[in-house]
Amino acid sequence: MKNYALKWIVKRITASILIPLTFWFIYISISLSKMEYDETVIFFSSYFNSFLFYVMMISMLIHSRLGLQTILEDYVTSKKTLKISKLTIDYLTYSLMFLITVFVIKMIN
Amino acid sequence: MSNKFENRPLSPHLSIHKKVLTAVFSIFHRITGIGLSIGAILISMWFILISLGPSYFAYFQMISSSIFFKLILILWSFGIFYHLFNGIRKLYWSFGIGMDLRSVYGSGYAVIFLTFLSTITVWLFA
Repeated sequence: MKNYALKWIVKRITASILIPLTFWFIYISISLSKMEYDETVIFFSSYFNSFLFYVMMISMLIHSRLGLQTILEDYVTSKKTLKISKLTIDYLTYSLMFLITVFVIKMIN
Repeated sequence: MSNKFENRPLSPHLSIHKKVLTAVFSIFHRITGIGLSIGAILISMWFILISLGPSYFAYFQMISSSIFFKLILILWSFGIFYHLFNGIRKLYWSFGIGMDLRSVYGSGYAVIFLTFLSTITVWLFA
């Protein structure tokens, strides 16, 4: 695979973005867990909350994809299995990114 | 030709190396990473259920009321904090900071301490 240097950098950039956002998400999760459905909807209708959630999810999915790729490259010997598992991760990552984008837009409207 | 590549040993020789603390830290970072990736799927599903409407969100509420779910959440928060603090440690290493043996062990113990402290603090408020 090419672009290892770029992947190394992107993994660290997304990690740095995720540090403050993880603290934020854990903090809001405590209140979200006590909220009724309507309050949860109101929470995500705020541009600020939805924006932070969106940035967190996209960074998380990118970071997760790169991390899992590294683990697979280290432990999976069969080229075929490696290719299939990488494709599965790509498919999952991009589908979730698409769904999160669609539903974040739906929530703020 | 392909056998020559497929049967060669891989970089982290998990079964060969002695399980030193630093190696255990690294392996645990990867294990929590895999766990948190599954977690990312779960957060996405949770958010999608909220967006779809109250009748769909009821499915989540059905699952979330169980004790088993709470246990998963406690484990999850532990994983998040471990990966977060150990990740910060790894970020420092990326800049070549704290890579001598003493710092590596010291920051490792700090990661354990902060992980337990944060997990306990969160569940005191939750």
